[in-house]
Amino acid sequence: MAPPAKPITSPVSDAWYPTLALLMLSIGLVVTASFFIYEATSLKRNRCLAKELITGGVASVFLGFGSLFLLLSAGVYV
Amino acid sequence: MESFRFCFLMLTIAILASPALSDLVLSKVDRRIYLTSHIVRISSTMKVENAGSEKESKVLLAFPEQQAKNMAYLIATPHEGKGKGKNPVVALPVEAANPKDMPAALTLYSVSLPKGLAEGDSFTFDVLAVFTHALRPIPEQITQADIQLVLYQDSAHYLSPYAVKVQSLSVKLPDSRIESYTKLENTKIHGSEIKYGPYENIPSFSYSPIAVHFESNLPFAVAHELVREIEISHWGNVQVTEHYKLIHGGAQSKGEFSRLDFQARPNVRGASAFRYLVANLPPRAHSVYYRDEIGNISTSHLRGDSKKTELLIEPRYPMFGGWRTAFTIGYGLPLQDFLFESDGKRFLNITFSSPMVELVIDALIVKVVLPEGSSDISVAAPFPVEQWQETKISHLDIDGRPVVVLKKTNVVPEHNQFFQVYYHFSQLSMLREPLMLISGFFFFFVACIVYMHADISISKSSASYLAKQQWEEVQAVIQQVQNIISRCLTTHDNLEASLRDLSRTGNIQACKAARKAADGLLKELSKELKPLLTFLQSSPSAAQVLPKVEELVAKERELQEKVMVKHSTVVDGYEKKLGARDIENRVALQQQKLTALRQEVDDLLEFIDEI
Repeated sequence: MAPPAKPITSPVSDAWYPTLALLMLSIGLVVTASFFIYEATSLKRNRCLAKELITGGVASVFLGFGSLFLLLSAGVYV
Repeated sequence: MESFRFCFLMLTIAILASPALSDLVLSKVDRRIYLTSHIVRISSTMKVENAGSEKESKVLLAFPEQQAKNMAYLIATPHEGKGKGKNPVVALPVEAANPKDMPAALTLYSVSLPKGLAEGDSFTFDVLAVFTHALRPIPEQITQADIQLVLYQDSAHYLSPYAVKVQSLSVKLPDSRIESYTKLENTKIHGSEIKYGPYENIPSFSYSPIAVHFESNLPFAVAHELVREIEISHWGNVQVTEHYKLIHGGAQSKGEFSRLDFQARPNVRGASAFRYLVANLPPRAHSVYYRDEIGNISTSHLRGDSKKTELLIEPRYPMFGGWRTAFTIGYGLPLQDFLFESDGKRFLNITFSSPMVELVIDALIVKVVLPEGSSDISVAAPFPVEQWQETKISHLDIDGRPVVVLKKTNVVPEHNQFFQVYYHFSQLSMLREPLMLISGFFFFFVACIVYMHADISISKSSASYLAKQQWEEVQAVIQQVQNIISRCLTTHDNLEASLRDLSRTGNIQACKAARKAADGLLKELSKELKPLLTFLQSSPSAAQVLPKVEELVAKERELQEKVMVKHSTVVDGYEKKLGARDIENRVALQQQKLTALRQEVDDLLEFIDEI
């Protein structure tokens, strides 16, 4: 074993996982709610595709990372 | 009988082969056989001397065939006197040797000495040999109440291709209860220790069989098969899962088993059984579990300190001879204790074998599951192992994780050494899992968008469909009208705000500029409004709503005019330098009308909104 072997740690300390999961999932769910409110209230002809995609994209980024941290904090190390 | 035949064979070999070998002589051999566990350990200290004239650098160790087939581990180290154990001991290289004129009934290993022995030189070294399944239970079947007796056979003289000048042997037993042992000249017994020797000037290949028949109620824990799975997650965890198939390897149990007897007097009625096993897990092990096929097994205890975590597990039933059980233990370990990086390569540095105390493993399979995206995998193990690669599909994987599988048979606790798995891994590959989750959610949103946009009616020419289409169009236009009206209202509010600013600062120019901007904006908005109104007038399905919309537009226009008049009046008043009260009196009436109109417009907007 070479002497300059440095230990590898996770990019985010695992003590932060539950907090991050809660935070990102709640942001994600709020954005998801706004996406569906927009879908349900705006008329078909007046809807803007770019806005829908952007809202959906932002919501999926937050939900994606949120659910990853949720899995990690629950002990499912992916 | 068997041993007699073997002895005879050895004797003939001795006669045939004795003059052939090199001039090495073992001037002193001290052997200690530890029978205090079901794993037999023979530790020997040997002093080798060169009596010939040629330089020698290799010493042969001989083991009879029946011993060699049970040998699990062999290590030779330079002998260090007492109290010098501070330096790390470097093992001498040992390899299987096969010289020509050796009898086939012997298995030979050659130990390479650190430097060649010249004439008259001597060198002292220690040899530790570990054997499994070397204790034979006699009788082979016992009842619950019987104690377990086992037989061990060896030679009182050290079997060696060299002549031995002085030698002694001590056999350490677990208990002072000895059924029988071979009595030779110079045999002494001290409690639980039997001493043979010293014997002097014994020729090479001398074999003098001894047998010790003694009580041993130690746990004969043998794992037929152990599959260890070590899964690395770069998100901060090394997960170890161990699947045991355990058997009590001692004397077979016969007759019936009485739980009552066992419970009442476990030391008498069930002395040969073992009730628990101890595993020494690494420090900071977490999420420890112990279960089998039907679920969690609650009889386990865990305690830990900074050096180790001790797990004590009890099988579901006491293990008697020949009884089997299968279970799984699992635990998580912190990543930084076991995963390191050097020269751009990552490596896992973890112990090879099971953490169980005094467990013999017949077949050990170690699977190291590396994260997806690892490449250039290589293994460095301290002893030869069979190895191959597999892939495993686990959570959030696309093409599976690379798995290095190592297999070794006949494993003893001495094999619990560190081994390394080297691999290349890009930090970006860590983003695979979150990206999969993100794309999963994104596809869901896209599906929703597509569903909301898609027109899924079957008959595109039916009257109701067309009416619906027209109505939707009207709705869209009405929404646009609403939008424009509300923008107009915002402009009015801005004008009011500019008046308030005026009353505060007295800056007439700013107020006029605001007026100008509002005028332009309102003109534009009314231009936008025109085509929409024309469309509504021409559309038949808008007939119901049209009066309301027109009323709204009219009211708004009225409101707009009133606001303008009020604005002009106030600005005029300021220009003529009238008092604030005067201006207020002038616009008071207008203000009332404005408020009423605003209320009407708001009501109309709300009404249209509800349609």
